[in-house]
Amino acid sequence: MPKLERLSEDVRDRMLNFPCIEHDDTPWTPMFKPLSESNVALVTTAGFHVRGDKPFGVPEGRGDTSYRVIPRDTSPGQIVQSHWSLSFDRTQTYRDINITFPMDRLEELVVRGKIGSLSDNYYSYMGALRDVTGLIEKTGPEVAKRLKDDGVDVVLLTPT
Amino acid sequence: MTTGVVLIKEHAERVKPPRMLAVPFNFGNTLGEANNPDYQHEVLEATFALLDHNSGPVLQQFETGPIPDPIVQGSHVINTSASKRFKAEEEVRSFIDYYERWLSLNLGRTGVGLSTIPYGDFGKMANFLEGYIEGTTSDMPERPTQFSLAHFIRYCVDDLKSFCFESRMAQKPNITVNALHEWFWVETSVARLILRLEKRMASDDNEEIKAEAYSIAR
Repeated sequence: MPKLERLSEDVRDRMLNFPCIEHDDTPWTPMFKPLSESNVALVTTAGFHVRGDKPFGVPEGRGDTSYRVIPRDTSPGQIVQSHWSLSFDRTQTYRDINITFPMDRLEELVVRGKIGSLSDNYYSYMGALRDVTGLIEKTGPEVAKRLKDDGVDVVLLTPT
Repeated sequence: MTTGVVLIKEHAERVKPPRMLAVPFNFGNTLGEANNPDYQHEVLEATFALLDHNSGPVLQQFETGPIPDPIVQGSHVINTSASKRFKAEEEVRSFIDYYERWLSLNLGRTGVGLSTIPYGDFGKMANFLEGYIEGTTSDMPERPTQFSLAHFIRYCVDDLKSFCFESRMAQKPNITVNALHEWFWVETSVARLILRLEKRMASDDNEEIKAEAYSIAR
């Protein structure tokens, strides 16, 4: 993001006062095998989903903490974005979905031998949530379990 | 384990995720530049390199060249389309050839589709929104029943924006991000329609409609 001082006052204030959760410490898992032997999945908060899936919404104004599964072999033409926030530019994603959801870049990294393999499924949430209770208690653990069941070693997280 | 990209470094300092690369790009431009695979790989390489750290949290700044200008917002400019006396419906119909060129150039990739209304009917959609503002129409018969009226209006607005932006990018493939947003919010009748729609919705008695007003025209 451009430096906070370069943003308009209303956007700057919204960013500084956004009620994101605060932690005192960090769960830490050291890398236990090379990336070139690891299985990698992509998880985004950009509000993408497969065309025809239920769009993200704002139930009772608290934010939508649900998630969507995007099979890795989905073509970019079949992915749309229903993120509720208007505070970001969508036009460059229209030009190239990889700017936010780097599905082609990850395939290239496998071909180059940098990444071992890719998960069959990627996952998408909608960010800019003002209440993450549902994410912490339900949908976060659900996706974590799916990732473990899929044999994923490393998750790449991308926002929008 | 996780590694990732963050756009607001100040938030990552509070949340303390294990590994994050802070990038200086605009919201929505997470890996820097569209259609620039080499640059996107630079960002990804720096992100995956965070996995090599033995302890954390790791919050590293991605060093890059000039920081892009902030994106132009609709609430910060004056729309001048009223002087053209060009209705949004007419404008939408005039964009159809460009939009179809966009579809052809991009192998069908489009942001359009949330409302489920076919793009050939977007002129009709613009007329519905016009009637809704004027109080002569309360709904569109084609609205899918699973969408509330408030959500449907939001999806109509999203589709109209995507349609206009993609049409313009087909017309002017090298247009910059900010020139694109400035063109839309300053020059188009569709943007003027959306700005009027925002005012209409903000004054509604229905709380859901009122809540959506804030989210359609910034």
